[in-house]
Amino acid sequence: MSEQSSTLDGQKPPIGEAQRGEVARPHRRRTLFSASGGIKPGMLSHWYAIPAIIVGLLFTLGPICVIVAFSFMSQPDVGGGVVYKFSTNAYKKLLFTTDFLGRTSFDPRYLKVFGTSLWQALVTTFICIVLSFFIALWMSLRKPSTQRLLVLLINIPFWTNLIVRTYAWMLILNENGPINGFLKFIGAGSKQLLYTSGASLIGLIFTFLPFAIMPMYSALSGFDFRLVEAAYDLGARKLTVMRRIILRAAKPGVTSAVALCFIPAFGSYVQPVLLGGGRVLMVGNLIASQFSEARNWPFGAALSTVILLITLLCGVAASIGGGKAARDAGMAV
Amino acid sequence: MSDNNKLNKRPDSEANAALNAGVAENGETVPVLHMEYGTAAEFGAIVERNIDERGEHASAQMPQWLEDKQPDRALSTRRSGRNRLKTFPGVAFISVLVILFLYLPMLMVVIFSFNGGRQALLWKGFSFSWYGTVFHDPAIISATLTSLEVAVIAMVLSTVIGVLFILAAGQMSRAGSALAGWLINASLIIPEVVLGVATMGFIRMIGLKPGMLPLILAHTTFCIPFVVMPLRARLQTIDTSCFEAAVDLGASPITTVRRVTLPLLAPAIVSGALMAFVISMDDFMISNFLTSAGTTTLPIYIFSLIRKGVNPSINVVATLLLLLAVIVTVISSVLTNRKDD
Repeated sequence: MSEQSSTLDGQKPPIGEAQRGEVARPHRRRTLFSASGGIKPGMLSHWYAIPAIIVGLLFTLGPICVIVAFSFMSQPDVGGGVVYKFSTNAYKKLLFTTDFLGRTSFDPRYLKVFGTSLWQALVTTFICIVLSFFIALWMSLRKPSTQRLLVLLINIPFWTNLIVRTYAWMLILNENGPINGFLKFIGAGSKQLLYTSGASLIGLIFTFLPFAIMPMYSALSGFDFRLVEAAYDLGARKLTVMRRIILRAAKPGVTSAVALCFIPAFGSYVQPVLLGGGRVLMVGNLIASQFSEARNWPFGAALSTVILLITLLCGVAASIGGGKAARDAGMAV
Repeated sequence: MSDNNKLNKRPDSEANAALNAGVAENGETVPVLHMEYGTAAEFGAIVERNIDERGEHASAQMPQWLEDKQPDRALSTRRSGRNRLKTFPGVAFISVLVILFLYLPMLMVVIFSFNGGRQALLWKGFSFSWYGTVFHDPAIISATLTSLEVAVIAMVLSTVIGVLFILAAGQMSRAGSALAGWLINASLIIPEVVLGVATMGFIRMIGLKPGMLPLILAHTTFCIPFVVMPLRARLQTIDTSCFEAAVDLGASPITTVRRVTLPLLAPAIVSGALMAFVISMDDFMISNFLTSAGTTTLPIYIFSLIRKGVNPSINVVATLLLLLAVIVTVISSVLTNRKDD
């Protein structure tokens, strides 16, 4: 370790010398941070990555460490914030409740919130993946110019403000909106559509559909459709081709779509609040309320830590399963 | 795989898919196997078994109707056009429905922004009146200005940091660059609520007050991955011999970066910067935990308007934000799809 760090500090080659490349490549030992060999022409030395790493350490890793630390601290008597005293009360509160007499008993209230989140996120992910598979397959069989146009069409909702997209559904689902207008017109009477868990679900699907389409499309657009012909040549029927050739090709897309839809949907806040009204309580809302109205920071931190662990598990699973597809797909146009 | 390719190259692929019955290379006649079979797969199995049993020249006879069959036009390798075999029932129908599902709600917002009535949800005739109201609403203007200020600063910072990172990432060891990549992309994966409350806790711990500075720092952080993404894609398509040529012609390392690398990356830099700008303009969740009373951003203001009760000016602001998304997406699509100069 000490050897490594001395390499990192001491043997930084002058940039100019390394740049001359093949002729005079200084011998450099590899460290975790720098690769062996000189700087490739047209690139910068690895030291220029430091600002990005500092920002990542300070404003991504730092906050995560703080929130995990907060979850093991105690709540002050009045107001928000934390008291630096070790306690696991926040985690106990997830599952148990203590009554006036000091008896603890099992409390399923917060588990139910996790259940609601899990259910809404799972349904969202499932529907998004099914729909995105169809549209991605359709897109990848168009002409290249049409494909570019379709990618653009899918990207526009992705870049549209989340609040705007959620609000659009409030316009549609409210009691004077087009759906209720139609229901009244055919004599079915108006129905409560807004502020239901179904509305929140529609909002989530609407939000995360482009997240699923992009990786799915990137998996299928690179697929060699001559394999489909080969399958037909070998006597496969349509259903078999779908099941054994195309679905298999879509697999990396499915994996990254799961990661891109499920995790953010699980922690969603805006859709349950605006479309679900008070009826849908998801983990995201619970966390936000612990840091505002409820003023129980350690409990909010404990909930966040649980979500982070779930995220980490999903992330690891996705990167084992098909993280490359997610990166290739990107969200870029 | 390779066998299939070979077959495809032949003009009459299907007829040749079976072995030319009966005649071996040296002209001798070899025993021919006549057998009933259903699909091409079964035929293939028969041929294979036959070869196993009787040696290389053994063969099976294709029925006459299959021999006479003309190559099927539908089996061409064209990806588009009328191709019966590559359409699946319902796919086009569902796809069109999905696109309608994505666009009809937005269309509603745009239409209702031209509503003349005092109610956001009841149509009372075409009018621009709410546009006038919005452009003179001091609260909306100040929220927009705050958002623009944060977005522009975050865009510049994240673009500079992102470009430096991507140019340096290639010089890091594999493990180092993977770790740094994870660190930078983490803000993409972590749910926004968690990142928001965590950043709030962190800001408090290091003694900063909610307001402009935490907003800018947090926005810069979550914009960096969006800058890096198009840059990484673009860098893979650039021919590295350009850089070598520059060095051979005597350019210093810094000159090479400035005069060769950066111009080649320019479309991706612009597209990444635009994305950073939009992402920052859009953010509600993280900003919500970091603002103070004086630094309300536009999404936070709209959210509070919606919660207070729907107001027609929301339609107008929403339409304008939609317009921003369309413009930015089109520009960045043109930049990334441009044929190389």
